Amino acid sequence: MSSVSFRKLEKSYGALRIVKGIDLEIADREFVVLVGPSGCGKSTTLRMLAGLESISGGEIRIGERVVNKLPPRERDIAMVFQDYALYPHKTVYENMAFSLKVRGVPAAEIKPRIAQAAEMLGIGQLLERKPSQLSGGQRQRVAMGRAIVRRPQVFLFDEPLSNLDAKLRGQVRTEIKRLHQAIGTTIIYVTHDQVEAMTLADRIVILKGGEIEQVGTPDEVYNSPASVFVGGFIGSPAMNFAKGTVRGGRIAFDGGAEIALDGRVNGKATALEGRDIIVGIRPEHFGAAEEGRQLSGRVQVVEPLGSDTLIHFALGSSTLTARVAPEMRPQPGEILSIGVDPSRIHLFDAATERALN
Amino acid sequence: MATASETSVVPTHNESATKWWTRFLDPSERTLAVLLLAPAALLLALIIVYPVCRLVWTSFQNLSLTSGVPAEFAGLENYRLMLDDPVFWETTWNTVLITLITVPGALFVGLAMALMANLPFKTKWPVRLSLLIPWALPLSFAGLIFAWFFHSEYGVVNDVLRRLGFEGVIWFNSANWAFAAICLTIIWKTSSFMALIILAGLQTIPRSLYEAAEVDGAGRMRQFFEITLPLLKPAIVVALIFRTITALQTFDIPFTMTRGGPGTSTATLAMYIHQNTVDFLDLGYGSALAVVMFALSMCVTAVYLRMIRAKG
Repeated sequence: MSSVSFRKLEKSYGALRIVKGIDLEIADREFVVLVGPSGCGKSTTLRMLAGLESISGGEIRIGERVVNKLPPRERDIAMVFQDYALYPHKTVYENMAFSLKVRGVPAAEIKPRIAQAAEMLGIGQLLERKPSQLSGGQRQRVAMGRAIVRRPQVFLFDEPLSNLDAKLRGQVRTEIKRLHQAIGTTIIYVTHDQVEAMTLADRIVILKGGEIEQVGTPDEVYNSPASVFVGGFIGSPAMNFAKGTVRGGRIAFDGGAEIALDGRVNGKATALEGRDIIVGIRPEHFGAAEEGRQLSGRVQVVEPLGSDTLIHFALGSSTLTARVAPEMRPQPGEILSIGVDPSRIHLFDAATERALN
Repeated sequence: MATASETSVVPTHNESATKWWTRFLDPSERTLAVLLLAPAALLLALIIVYPVCRLVWTSFQNLSLTSGVPAEFAGLENYRLMLDDPVFWETTWNTVLITLITVPGALFVGLAMALMANLPFKTKWPVRLSLLIPWALPLSFAGLIFAWFFHSEYGVVNDVLRRLGFEGVIWFNSANWAFAAICLTIIWKTSSFMALIILAGLQTIPRSLYEAAEVDGAGRMRQFFEITLPLLKPAIVVALIFRTITALQTFDIPFTMTRGGPGTSTATLAMYIHQNTVDFLDLGYGSALAVVMFALSMCVTAVYLRMIRAKG
């Protein structure tokens, strides 16, 4: 087990910079999730750590060793690929034994190690099967088994759940978390799914355009997003954004609505006076209407989800989504008055889109 | 009030007519399958089954267009003659030898070419084109070109040998050298076909398998033997089937390079069939020889198919 650090890590293809100077320290035994939209550089970063891509600049350390120029086999890492990358002509046992054989582990030691990993993952009865005879979830577990038997310093997961259906994804996600709790090895996990990031990570690294947008625990990135991008990326349904201006301790939204700017952000009211801002409100942070702390808009669409109801309503030129109690069912076209807790709203600078509070 | 079932029991004249047509137009699945397969089956019968049957039948006949005697049933006489015919044995042995040398030769050269063509070149078309050109050339054309290459006075091969300090070889005066020249030409001509099939197989192997193997600690050689070769087996077997069958039918290259000489030392079974049927007009004996060649091809195909099934 080992720590991992990236210092000024760069990756370019000709003039195209994919990863732009990433600095990140990952502690031993930590579960870190790299998350971001397609093309943000998360998979490239992981592949550079694995040694499958060369680096264009900076430094990668695993433990105390600089591994910039080391081939993958000398980095003591194990990787679970998006398409599992199981050898189709080998049985599950042979897939799991391959890396151990290559590394010259004695046959007497290979068998118990595979048996132990197979038992941990519940694939003991599948050892004689070929990958083509396995379901998606079973293949995923075999891919994890192949990584576990190596007992590497760091586990790398490259979007391992993206080929599974929603139900199976939930199950395997739990298994990965359980696995980390059981073996405690450092895990670096890449995904574009914010739910996976929130549920699995000790810390989340949110990437955008090859740069780190924010690093923090799931609570930190949810409660204190550093930018409009992070606010919109983390959370489902996504955070609502509406443009406004701070005037006399109140937020005046484009389109005329106003709410009081008090509570957590009250102290900053003077500093923000006259400034153009973007207000972020999570759908689940709307509540009962109160005088001075409410927004009104025409209901556009109502989506009953059973456990709660999503109401989409217009506020000026923006459409906001509120997640409310299931029994609340306004009709489309009605004027909705809905409460907002100022202490739970997020303020971003309209020009830089960085957080103000 | 009439129910639906009552009305259907007593069909009108019109309805019964519809029923007859419906039966014709809507046959059972079995009849439909036979109807749909019939044109293809008939075509196959016409262009494959009939000629093969006719060939076998002719091989049982004494049918020589130069004898002036009408064709008569000769039973296994042509096959008995074959067993006592030294030229049959020599040409058959030459054919088998050419197959045994050129098929593995083309496989190894083709595999090497395919591996090279699969490298991540920035500009891929020159590599792919160099694979296609030998394959696209007519066999007899390749034979004529290489006959010039191996010419004892003006050939490029002897020129290179002399520049390197060796003596030139009179390639087509010696049975062994002539055989070697023919085999080299066949390998050059056919390895590109092997390479194309193997290249197609290589491109179906996902890159992630090699990445997984790299992370697992396997070097290039190990990756080749543990991943590339096992996953290429189906493509290689298909290439081997095609190549072996065409090797057993080798005709054009030795015909254009040596005409089977010196003597009959480089003549193949296909050339001997051609000689008997076209030059000597002995269709009965020629057909018997062709049946033997057909049987050889079938045996090889059966062995390869068995190999595929065993691997599957």
